[in-house]
Amino acid sequence: MLLRYITRRMLIGVIQLFCLVIAVFFLIRLLPADPVSRLVGLNSSPEGYEQAARQLGLDRPLFEQLWIYLGLSPDIAPGLLQGSLGVSWASGSTVGSEIATFLPVTLQLITLAFILAFIISIPVGMLGALNPGKAADKGVFVYSLFAGSQPEFWWGLLFVYVFYFQLGVAPAPLGQLSPMTFPPEPVTGFMLIDTLIAGEPAKFFEALHHLMMPVITLAFILSGPIIKMVRQNMLRALQSDFVLYANLIGLPRKRVARYALRAAMGPSMTLIGILYGFMLSGAVLVESVFSLGGIGQYAIRSVLAFDYPAIQGVVLVITAISLVVYLLLDLIHAAIDPRIAY
Amino acid sequence: MPDQVQDLLLDETTYVPPVRKADWLMRIGVSIVTLVIFLALFGPYIGPYDPTRTTIRIAVPPPGLTEIPGLLAGWIGGTLEYPPHWMGTDANGYDIFSRVIAAPRTDLKIALLANILSLITGVFFGLVAGYWRNWGTELLIRVSDVLQSFPVFIMAMVLVALAGRSATNIIIALAFVYTPIYLRLTRAEVLGQTSRGFVEAARAMGNSELSIALRHVLPNSLTPALIQSSVTIGFAILLTAGLSFVGAGVRPPTPEWGLMISTGANQIVLGEWWPSVFPGLAISLTVFGFAVLGNALERRYERG
Repeated sequence: MLLRYITRRMLIGVIQLFCLVIAVFFLIRLLPADPVSRLVGLNSSPEGYEQAARQLGLDRPLFEQLWIYLGLSPDIAPGLLQGSLGVSWASGSTVGSEIATFLPVTLQLITLAFILAFIISIPVGMLGALNPGKAADKGVFVYSLFAGSQPEFWWGLLFVYVFYFQLGVAPAPLGQLSPMTFPPEPVTGFMLIDTLIAGEPAKFFEALHHLMMPVITLAFILSGPIIKMVRQNMLRALQSDFVLYANLIGLPRKRVARYALRAAMGPSMTLIGILYGFMLSGAVLVESVFSLGGIGQYAIRSVLAFDYPAIQGVVLVITAISLVVYLLLDLIHAAIDPRIAY
Repeated sequence: MPDQVQDLLLDETTYVPPVRKADWLMRIGVSIVTLVIFLALFGPYIGPYDPTRTTIRIAVPPPGLTEIPGLLAGWIGGTLEYPPHWMGTDANGYDIFSRVIAAPRTDLKIALLANILSLITGVFFGLVAGYWRNWGTELLIRVSDVLQSFPVFIMAMVLVALAGRSATNIIIALAFVYTPIYLRLTRAEVLGQTSRGFVEAARAMGNSELSIALRHVLPNSLTPALIQSSVTIGFAILLTAGLSFVGAGVRPPTPEWGLMISTGANQIVLGEWWPSVFPGLAISLTVFGFAVLGNALERRYERG
């Protein structure tokens, strides 16, 4: 039953991704941008312009371009069906390999930010839910409304000013490691893991130190909606019959709160999934403040260079990961909450 | 935050208002929003300097707290050489205060128009998709689902960068990413209305389907979309500023908060905090104001 559910979800996901690919493909080509002159410059000769257009394949009819991109004419160039996202126009390397270097940075950043946001949000959200209407609840509520509506890039800059310039406890916002440090051999692409594999704990702590500020910035923004959600789901759990019963038989308040928390976590999973998917591209501004070189910065670079294959690749990969995350979290939800069966 | 999250939080059936008597909070929201609207109307004219003209004084820090009374007295008395730079000047010599209060003209205009545009298209398609259920409207919903699965920020960036960095294109791009939200909200509401008695009654009276949809169902289905707008305007301001910050927004020297933060971002590591801090503070308060207002409306009109 579970297997059938997963297969069905995957199948729907593939159809959705296929529609997305088509939509993005035509959308960027219908917009009045000229990637050829962006590449060869405005002063190029008509011959040079035509040659560049031929090289990019932009002289072919639109549907032929789509065919090649999808991989339906593999004799010209490998496409999606052959597992290739194409070649970046700006750099000349394959989009797949570029995304593989940029994506782990973002995944590492947002995963740590989610963990930190959770550590903050669960007690704060519970504090609000256990004292409904009291001063603590009001404070929690206003905080969550505030944190959830903030310009994260500005907070990042503010933190840089305070913690780097004024206090000197944070490193300069210049990337994952200090520019003077030689990065370890990329194995997984995750800096924290790679430094450990290379057996260099000093670099591990340096990377952690450099991640500190961006993770705190993102966790602050994320804590807004997560606290709101924990509080709301907790309140609902506290009103349910089993909590009433637990209170009636005189269980300690702390224990009842723990039971309620478990019941509140299930419904929170869907929201966590959506937030995580959103953050894959939503972390872009924080990445760019701290020059981390994540997938968001790769997207900025590709968009500003009119690099169509790279844009298509980024959108496809981010959406695909979001869909997988939604599915995983629905499965976790089912595992936590035995009432849900597929 | 993504609007799907907003929806999830809105959709709660067992909603417990967190602050029962939070009129002070709503008052804060209304004051902020009123101030921003005022600045959008008059901001460009009331600043001491032209927001799009540089001065010869570059990177002047704002006056210290102790200097303010003296400056104020001199300003009113007319004994100063030039009007004080209340928030300092940036690396190009622009007066930051004049630009901060002129920016709502850009930011609020973009956010408001994008919101109105997406509200109209979203409500229209939501009404159609909810009231007439056939394969065509089913397709409409599927298309909207695909649009909604786009990564919002990247999509907005693609649309603006490829179509050209103008305010109009930003408005269209934002409207494009926000339309599916209104479509879904309205459709869900319409679906709930069509089985209600007053629709049957209107039909029995001999009204045409079109007139039932427009005159009876539509007015009863607008509330969630209208409440959502206050929240969406705030997020549209965030998105507009974010686009400028990465270089895919309005062009300099347009006074725009995100652009100002981005101009000051390079200097902040050198200790020049004022070019970024003041416009950021303005965004922070404005979006918070709209979020508070949206939340207050949400609580007031929550059914039950």
